[in-house]
Amino acid sequence: MKNLDLSVKQGEVFGFLGPNGAGKSTTIKILLGLITPSAGNAKIMGVDVSSHGARRSVGYLPENPAFYDYLTAEEYLEFVGKTFNLPDALLRESIEKVLKLLELWDARKRPMRGYSKGMVQRLGLAQVLLHDPEVYILDEPMSGLDPLGRAMVKDVIRELKLRGRTVFFSTHITSDVEAVCDRVGVIVDGCLQSVDSVDDLMIRGIEGYRVQVRDAVHGLEEQFTASNRQGDIVEFTVTSQDLKLLLEKVVLSGAEVVIVEPRRKDLESFFLDTVSRGRG
Amino acid sequence: MGARNFILIMSLLLGLYFIILMPFTVYMTSKPYVEKLGIIPRAEVLQVVSADQKQLVGASIITKVVMYFGGLLGTEQSKISLPPDYQAMSRTLHAAMRLDPYNMDGYYFAQSILVWDVRQFMIANNLLESGMKYRTWDWSLPYFAGFNYAFFLKDYANAAKYFKLAGDLSGNPLFVNLTGRYLHEAGQTEMAISYINTMKKSAKNPAIKKTYTIRLKALEAVRSIENARDAYRAAMAHLPASLDELVSSGYLKKLPADPYGGKFYLEPDGKVMTTSKFAFSK
Amino acid sequence: MNMIIGVTLKGIFRDRVFQGILTAAVLFLAIPSVSTLSMRQVTELSITLSLSLVSFIMLLLAVFLGGTSIWRDIERRYTFSVLSLPLTRSSYLFGRFAGIAIFLLLTAAVLAVATVAVVFVVSGNYPPERPVAWGAIAAAVGFDALKYIFLVAFAVLFSSVSTSFFLPIFGTITIFLVGGATQQVYDYVHSQAGQALAPLVRQIATALYYVLPNFSAFDLKVNAIYALKLNFQGLVLTAGYFSVYTAIVLFVSAAIFSRREMK
Repeated sequence: MKNLDLSVKQGEVFGFLGPNGAGKSTTIKILLGLITPSAGNAKIMGVDVSSHGARRSVGYLPENPAFYDYLTAEEYLEFVGKTFNLPDALLRESIEKVLKLLELWDARKRPMRGYSKGMVQRLGLAQVLLHDPEVYILDEPMSGLDPLGRAMVKDVIRELKLRGRTVFFSTHITSDVEAVCDRVGVIVDGCLQSVDSVDDLMIRGIEGYRVQVRDAVHGLEEQFTASNRQGDIVEFTVTSQDLKLLLEKVVLSGAEVVIVEPRRKDLESFFLDTVSRGRG
Repeated sequence: MGARNFILIMSLLLGLYFIILMPFTVYMTSKPYVEKLGIIPRAEVLQVVSADQKQLVGASIITKVVMYFGGLLGTEQSKISLPPDYQAMSRTLHAAMRLDPYNMDGYYFAQSILVWDVRQFMIANNLLESGMKYRTWDWSLPYFAGFNYAFFLKDYANAAKYFKLAGDLSGNPLFVNLTGRYLHEAGQTEMAISYINTMKKSAKNPAIKKTYTIRLKALEAVRSIENARDAYRAAMAHLPASLDELVSSGYLKKLPADPYGGKFYLEPDGKVMTTSKFAFSK
Repeated sequence: MNMIIGVTLKGIFRDRVFQGILTAAVLFLAIPSVSTLSMRQVTELSITLSLSLVSFIMLLLAVFLGGTSIWRDIERRYTFSVLSLPLTRSSYLFGRFAGIAIFLLLTAAVLAVATVAVVFVVSGNYPPERPVAWGAIAAAVGFDALKYIFLVAFAVLFSSVSTSFFLPIFGTITIFLVGGATQQVYDYVHSQAGQALAPLVRQIATALYYVLPNFSAFDLKVNAIYALKLNFQGLVLTAGYFSVYTAIVLFVSAAIFSRREMK
């Protein structure tokens, strides 16, 4: 990894995007003190990561997590809670809350060696949420989950965002970033290629609009390219500059606008572009 | 843990270690010898637990005995007398021989200590005889047994049998000659000297070699006294009353010293003996 | 650290190690009848066999629990989830060690009870010449346990550097063999016979004697078997030696482990 300079603001959800082997996990392991960087430093909530105290305010979900499989979910969460010095009453309450939230309540008394991959992943999330930390560092939180599980994780992240928590998660799936992130950083071959706000990217990526108009007057079709006609609905594809003109004409002609939809490069193509630029 | 803390704690611990190491070493070296030789389980048990490592276990037990004996000899030289636990050594060796009946070290060492120091001739010979069943090519076992029969047990018939066997195995006529030359009362000292010379030559362990050197010296002293005695008897037709008489009459230049620290004397039947009984005082 | 100790103990029990020990301990039942093989010292033989069995079981535990517990955490990627908690690496390592040590002490206690039961039965049927020294038997088992805890510290040291289980397992076995031989070698080197060795060899042997662990001090079997008097001062020294040396080994392990990259 070279010259990685990145800061995540408190209260934001940061997506860390990169192909496999780009250095996402390495970055995260440095943040958790699992690896010592050969040069430079990292801080969490102002505490240098070389001190174990930095991890006090962090919930960390490793990639493809593995937990002491001879313990039950309940015992494991107890163990985690105690390392965070949670008082007993609060700990019991928290355990019940997270286990129910992640639908592991019924399995709580079974040793984890009998868990499916998805259940282990959910337990990983449970142990992250247990002590309600300020900072969440999630390494590939959606991997190994079915669509229901993925939706659950996205909900959890949105919920954290609402409560003003900071989430830093790595992924190689762009739609996940699109769905929940405020900002996204792209890392390729150990180099941070770009850091952008997701909203900005979305706006910048707009290449034109798809407009459907009912009862369009003739002439519109000549002036703007109509791509499709179905019954009395005509569909136009226009550039951003032409959009205003088209809409004015439509309104003036008394026709009805059915749909205005941006056509854009999605995050995936942005990501692919960035990767090829980074490698090129 | 910071580097400075680590160095601090580490130097503290190392300091403590050196403080404790000195008295600890003294304690360990002063532990009584019996404890050090330790006890070993019975041969039957050993045979089971040593599984497929019988030779290794046997060899390590013998090494233990040899080292124990070597260490003991060292202290004897410096005049600190500790009673060697010959019984324990003999027991240990027997167990080792059960594990690996081919181990020559065991026979050799048993012959070296059992017969001279423990005077368990029959036990030694039993051990040697059972060893002959395994080491069928080895002339030294029948040679040892023959010597024991001749020198200690005065059983000349058996001695002759084993000397002949040793001669046959080695192809060395010396052993056959032994039968003729030494198998009578008068040739005892000569036989012992020749035997010890043979043993000493094959001795590799310095501790054992040392015991032979001392014993050889003693036997040579006895031989010189015996020669003087025989000359005196031939001239005077009677035995001298004491060894001093041999010296005063000029047959013996001076009374040789007993390397075991005793004093030579003449028994009424003319046998040369010493107050040390050819062993270091216990 | 307490949490790690708890988790370690739970792991050992859940892996049914204790049931394994109980299975091995069934051999105790055979000791009274095997002991009658001895002609002259039935009780002594029963003590010998019991103590050897205890020692053997604890050796296996020390080597395998000590050699595999940290390696397994790394191998199964448990370290990522555990070491990313607000624990120091040292407390993780010390917790692992302490958990195994507590388990060994527990095992020693249970096996000591079995030993006492066996010896009690045998000595009732075949009264020995000298009364059985129960205190010495307890001390023998106790110091044996200390010896194996000492060995676990070495297993932890090897685990802190190694990525496979070969070094922890074989290194620990080597230390066990070496530690048992140091005193013998030292005695030999300083005996009359040892003077024949080259001076350099003797100096190296002496230096190694001071550096390498010495397990012979922990062997009180003779005292237990023949009811010999225990040297109290010697036992205190041995316990002190154990504490200091074990602490050194653990601190070195912690220093290495703290700097280790968890890739």
